[in-house]
Amino acid sequence: MTANSRYKSKAALLHWINMVSFAADDAALYLDTHPQDQEALAYFANYSGLRRQAMEDFAEAFYPLTRDASQNSRQQWDWGAGPLPWEGGC
Amino acid sequence: MQNYYHPAPSRTIPAPDYPVAMAYVPWQHFSDTYEPDKALQCGTIFPELNKPFLGRKGCRL
Repeated sequence: MTANSRYKSKAALLHWINMVSFAADDAALYLDTHPQDQEALAYFANYSGLRRQAMEDFAEAFYPLTRDASQNSRQQWDWGAGPLPWEGGC
Repeated sequence: MQNYYHPAPSRTIPAPDYPVAMAYVPWQHFSDTYEPDKALQCGTIFPELNKPFLGRKGCRL
């Protein structure tokens, strides 16, 4: 899945974030017990990088999902910009 | 008395450094992984850990 093919819709990007985040988390659990495993380290670096990029893309396109992913390009604090959970936000 | 729970000799673990009455978990090694979408759906990136519950209402199929 190329970078830009994911930007069909907000839901698609959210699903992509869920996927790469899950892969990074599961690899992290493995690394807890296998700290020197180079293959696992490379796997984790790849997916956490994809996650960081996807979070920034989402913040740029929609709203920040976490405070540290908020974009200050809008010269204003946009952390509360997205819909709240009970309003259908995630 | 015939002991029905004795595992077949071929499956017993060599005794010297494995005392009885201790549980042993084989060490996992990083091999192939699922694609992210299947991993998220199965709940693991490791095929060897993908063990869906096959019983119904707590009993075997």
